[in-house]
Amino acid sequence: MTLPELGAAGYGAPSHVAPSIEAVGLGWRYAGRPAPALIDLHFKLEPGRVLLVLGPSGSGKSTLARALAGLVPHTLAGDWQGSLRVGDLDVASTPARFLGEKVGLVFQDPDCQLVMARVDDEVAFGLENRGRPAAEMRAAVPDALRQVGLADFGQRSTATLSGGEKQRLAIADVLVSRPSLLVFDEPTANLDPPGMFETLERIAELARLRRHTIVLIEHRLEAALPLADDVLLLDDTGRQLAFAPAGSVGRSDAALLEASGAWVPRTWLGADLPASAGPGRRRMPATGEGQLLLRIADLTVDYPADLSGTRRALEGVSLEVRSGERIAIVGPNGAGKSTLLFVLAGLRRPTSGSVGLRAVVSEGEPAEALRDPSRLPAEEIAGRVGLVFQDPELGFVARTARDEVAATDRAIRSRLRGDDHRPPDSDGVLARFGLGQLAAQDPFRLSQGEQRRLSLAALVLRPPAILLLDEPTFGLDRRGTESVVEMLDELKATGQAQLLATHDPRLLPDCDRVVAMDHGRIVFDGSPDEFLAAPPYSPPDPWRAGVAAVAAGALEAVGAVGAAR
Amino acid sequence: MSLAAPLTSVRPDFLTRVTPAARLAAGMTWLIAAIVTLDPVVPTRLAVAATVALVLWSGLPLRRVPGRLAPLGFAIVSLTVFSILLSGANADRSLAAVAAFGPIRITAPAISAGLAIGLRVVVIGLTTLLVFGPSDPTRMADSLVQQWHIPDRFAYGTLGALRVAPFMADDWTLISASRRLRGIQPRGVAGRIRDAGDRLVVMLVAAIRRAERLALAMDARGFDSGIKRSHFRELRVGWRDWLTIAVAGAVAVGSVALPR
Repeated sequence: MTLPELGAAGYGAPSHVAPSIEAVGLGWRYAGRPAPALIDLHFKLEPGRVLLVLGPSGSGKSTLARALAGLVPHTLAGDWQGSLRVGDLDVASTPARFLGEKVGLVFQDPDCQLVMARVDDEVAFGLENRGRPAAEMRAAVPDALRQVGLADFGQRSTATLSGGEKQRLAIADVLVSRPSLLVFDEPTANLDPPGMFETLERIAELARLRRHTIVLIEHRLEAALPLADDVLLLDDTGRQLAFAPAGSVGRSDAALLEASGAWVPRTWLGADLPASAGPGRRRMPATGEGQLLLRIADLTVDYPADLSGTRRALEGVSLEVRSGERIAIVGPNGAGKSTLLFVLAGLRRPTSGSVGLRAVVSEGEPAEALRDPSRLPAEEIAGRVGLVFQDPELGFVARTARDEVAATDRAIRSRLRGDDHRPPDSDGVLARFGLGQLAAQDPFRLSQGEQRRLSLAALVLRPPAILLLDEPTFGLDRRGTESVVEMLDELKATGQAQLLATHDPRLLPDCDRVVAMDHGRIVFDGSPDEFLAAPPYSPPDPWRAGVAAVAAGALEAVGAVGAAR
Repeated sequence: MSLAAPLTSVRPDFLTRVTPAARLAAGMTWLIAAIVTLDPVVPTRLAVAATVALVLWSGLPLRRVPGRLAPLGFAIVSLTVFSILLSGANADRSLAAVAAFGPIRITAPAISAGLAIGLRVVVIGLTTLLVFGPSDPTRMADSLVQQWHIPDRFAYGTLGALRVAPFMADDWTLISASRRLRGIQPRGVAGRIRDAGDRLVVMLVAAIRRAERLALAMDARGFDSGIKRSHFRELRVGWRDWLTIAVAGAVAVGSVALPR
């Protein structure tokens, strides 16, 4: 792919020469936090090179990105140590606005970095803030949009863009100021496969142009390593493990890279590292015919007429789920995955068709009748269906982790009097899920990975028969993903059925079944192997290209299906 | 806020070419006129004028307008009915009852006062649509900053908040859903109030998180860095602005001053 012609004014070329980056004993601790985010970094990146920063969640990668843009220490408060230089500017002593002109920072969450309602206003925002004349902006804005392949999007509302388009827009937002250093902070972590694909493609193109110094934080090693000139590896305390040319990073470093939370290509892992092959290795054979827990028949859901008219979210969906089954629900954004989960949780009534749920019964007991989830009282629905959100924070109901784990049990006990009053073993559950030290912590103060684990731990004392998960691995690094899969395995072993709406092809080998949706219909229902071999989407659907690309990387990365064949 | 949100597919028309600040000034004259009077005649005249302006000059897709005003319908009907039923004039035995249901009497002044209140809400709704409908919120912020010299931090900070607002509604739904699925169902009035408070805390925490991230992204792009902001879209005050304000003002004065 070639870059579109630059505008007459040459926007997109950096206003300064690409800078070097030099850290000498760099450290940072956020005000009010006991532990530092970064400790004693020493490295020097030569001008115009691409640096890949690897490290597990909590290793200070984002803090480094913020420091390069001057947000640390100028906007955020804390203790600064050592020095960081971007070209000839010393970050600690240079006002943020001078750094801001030189550095473009793209964040992880596309929804939390777009300010304006219209695409061209959005791109102009950074130039307006710097007081650039209108005539300059009128040339620069369309040019920046062209560079990210959004040439005709100027008049569009930012709310109508897909995740990948939003992230490309965020790249245009920084390119328009002609920065000489570009910093990408996990730019693909919140995107679906096509969004990830198109965003990485743009970054690869910028890297090839060699006009900027680039710092890329990304844990998809298979996609990011080929772009990098140098690699900086951080550990989970914010210390530097290594700084080395990317060419020298190879199989012999697999263990070190694994420790950094990166997804390491499977082929790098020797036979002596079987335990680190990632999720997929733990796939359990489906255990015969489980009990029928859920039956959906000919389900159709329309969203009520709004200004844009009635929208059909699901059409003629039929599905049966049995105990002990794990089903991945995949499909492009807007395919109906979330609506399906919401109907199953009784949060949305079907327009037509039926949904029936029932609890697991022990052997010999008669099966319950199938019940409509939207008509069940709260204390009864809790035992039948659980829902874990993409953003676990929204699901928290208590002020400490310990109470969070006990909350459902407590609510049910208070309803069903005469139940025994033995206090539940919340601490035991927390310990099993690696949260033992955090029992008295406020759930909102935990890290993203810890929050996700807590949201699953909270389901253990009263495990629902069916667990619904909306993007359970969103924004998690490899370790976080692995620990989520481990916890799901533990719950599944009790006979729980699990439905995962996910964009992450790496989870598929861990599932018993894949249900693919498109435009509100089920277009595929079969084994993960069949699905990965031939995603059921007709080309030129970008979702298919994205899945194929990610699946190829993922297969190599985790080797799950690849090893099976 | 949905009333003030721009309708999609606005076609260019007279009012879309008027700067938002001028539309706001013009709209204010009507709101003042509607609020200072107590009879139903003035708001009726203003409602007619607003409807004419909406049909002829707003560029708004007319078939979408009733849907947009629908949320106000309940307020209009209930305010009117209760104002009529609860008016003090009904207790005045010297007035003849227009209608009576057992002990409840309804007098002519009560009907007039009730209609006046209901019609005022109609005027407020239509005027809001005329002021905010023809352009997006960014234009409104640009206009207020450029013409009325509202501080950037306030105007664009509010725009950022507006962008985040729809997420809060979604969050509320998810938070409420999650509590139900966790088996938590409050009992009694006190329990319900406490439960609503808990949900609100979660929603605010999530909103603050989001706002912090957005603020950081705005700072990274040089927002409020001490440089005087320039404007991508410069708004020019023209004859349309003055004409709009003059005509709206004349209508406001006329609707109050003309004999009833």
